Amino acid sequence: MRIFSYLSKKVGDLTVKYSNLPESYIKRSYEQVYWKNPTGYPQYPKAQVARKKFRFTTNRPWTGHFRQQNDVGVHRKKVFVEPVGEWSFFKGDRVEVMVGKDKGKQGIVSQVVQERNWVFVEGLNTHLRIVGKDKNFPGVTVQSEAPLLVTTDVKLVDPENLKPTEFEWRYTEEGEKVRVSMTSSRIIPIPKSAEETIDYKSKELYVANPDKDTEADVVTKITFEPKLRTFEMDIMEAMGIKEDRVPAKSYWY
Amino acid sequence: MNFVFRNGVLKYVAANYFRSQCTATKLNAPSNRIVHTSSTSYDLMEFFDDKKNWNETNIKVGRAWKLDELRIKSNTDLHKLWYVLLKERNMLYTMEHECKEKVRLFPNPERIDKVQESMKNIETVVRERNIAYYQLETGETGERPVEEVVNLFGLPEKYEKSEYMVPKFMNTKWVKPYLEHGLINSIAVKKFYRLYKEKLHNESRKARNRDYNHVQQLLKRFPDMDLEKLREQYPNVDIEKAMRTKKARGHYFPKY
Repeated sequence: MRIFSYLSKKVGDLTVKYSNLPESYIKRSYEQVYWKNPTGYPQYPKAQVARKKFRFTTNRPWTGHFRQQNDVGVHRKKVFVEPVGEWSFFKGDRVEVMVGKDKGKQGIVSQVVQERNWVFVEGLNTHLRIVGKDKNFPGVTVQSEAPLLVTTDVKLVDPENLKPTEFEWRYTEEGEKVRVSMTSSRIIPIPKSAEETIDYKSKELYVANPDKDTEADVVTKITFEPKLRTFEMDIMEAMGIKEDRVPAKSYWY
Repeated sequence: MNFVFRNGVLKYVAANYFRSQCTATKLNAPSNRIVHTSSTSYDLMEFFDDKKNWNETNIKVGRAWKLDELRIKSNTDLHKLWYVLLKERNMLYTMEHECKEKVRLFPNPERIDKVQESMKNIETVVRERNIAYYQLETGETGERPVEEVVNLFGLPEKYEKSEYMVPKFMNTKWVKPYLEHGLINSIAVKKFYRLYKEKLHNESRKARNRDYNHVQQLLKRFPDMDLEKLREQYPNVDIEKAMRTKKARGHYFPKY
């Protein structure tokens, strides 16, 4: 689809995974469609007038902050994002900061913003922010981490000698895709916290909604038996519907 | 394998399994059409959510049913699940409408998307099964026939055929194909098509230029970038040509 291609490409896979929301919902929650041609008429092509440029920041696309930041009439300078190919930095990774006042220090990635090639490293590359300043109150100073570019500002740490290293994606003999350090050829494992989402820390820890969710054993139970019948025939037999009438001859055109 | 985390939206499947078994044993006549196995019949309040969820701000549910999970289910199960989902979807639509009326936030609107995705997947699985049957038996898919035609505007269109009781030549009410009218060869259609093609061409030209300029700016900002990855992302752009342009040079002396 031509018209949606510029929308669908923008939100990163990691963001979708982290949100734990259906992709269609994310799309409809952040897109701003001002006009859409009615569907089902030959005279109207499939066209829409919608906002095309979005500023992606730490505000996630499905939130109100994002909507506020990309409000109607708000236009900001274009951001150039270097193509990185396959994404290789995950939450929980140990990285070394290569720039800034914390150059040479190592830390754990606490947040990833794939749309901007950003990672946030816990406690590193920080600045001070004054929060809640008022006429009568001087405000509270907090430390907040600034984003780092994955292309130049951080490097993954080799698990063997704890030195920053280049890496590449390779396949193990089991066919698993892994990151391999170029200096020591050791596998850099993807941390457990990479599968963390906004709802749960790891998949096992998800608490099912007893009213709405299907139990796992019911989902995995195999009840399908192959038969030489269509769906409708099978349902009719199960419900005891007998149909002996022969349909009249019809023509398709 | 733990599947709890990836549960479907609805619990009612399990309840339905149980209930269908009950009716089968109790009445021993599942073929009786008067007996239906839907849940306890409430009144119109079935269109609304449980009362305990009314003031909730966060109703967390699992994800939608995947195709592979639906493929292992029998036709009867899919049939039941469809109606479970349909009821849930109606309930969600009602609640969304009611929340709008009462000027409240509808909690977790992504549930609608999850139900819709599940229903779409059920439809896909049912279709797959029917197509398999018809292809085995008749050699055709059994789907509604679709024909590639040229429409009134001279544009290609997929025409979905319909079923009629009389053959084509007897059906005076049915509009004859546009080809027979000679409309596609009319001057108006030709002119429209020429302008339409021009518009499409302009769009693609603009997209090409946009990409080319974007690549130049990227090269200017990131002179040490991986060119392979750039080429992968912008396959239609001549990178070597873009590198030689003034725009890509940046405010520094070139390294060569």
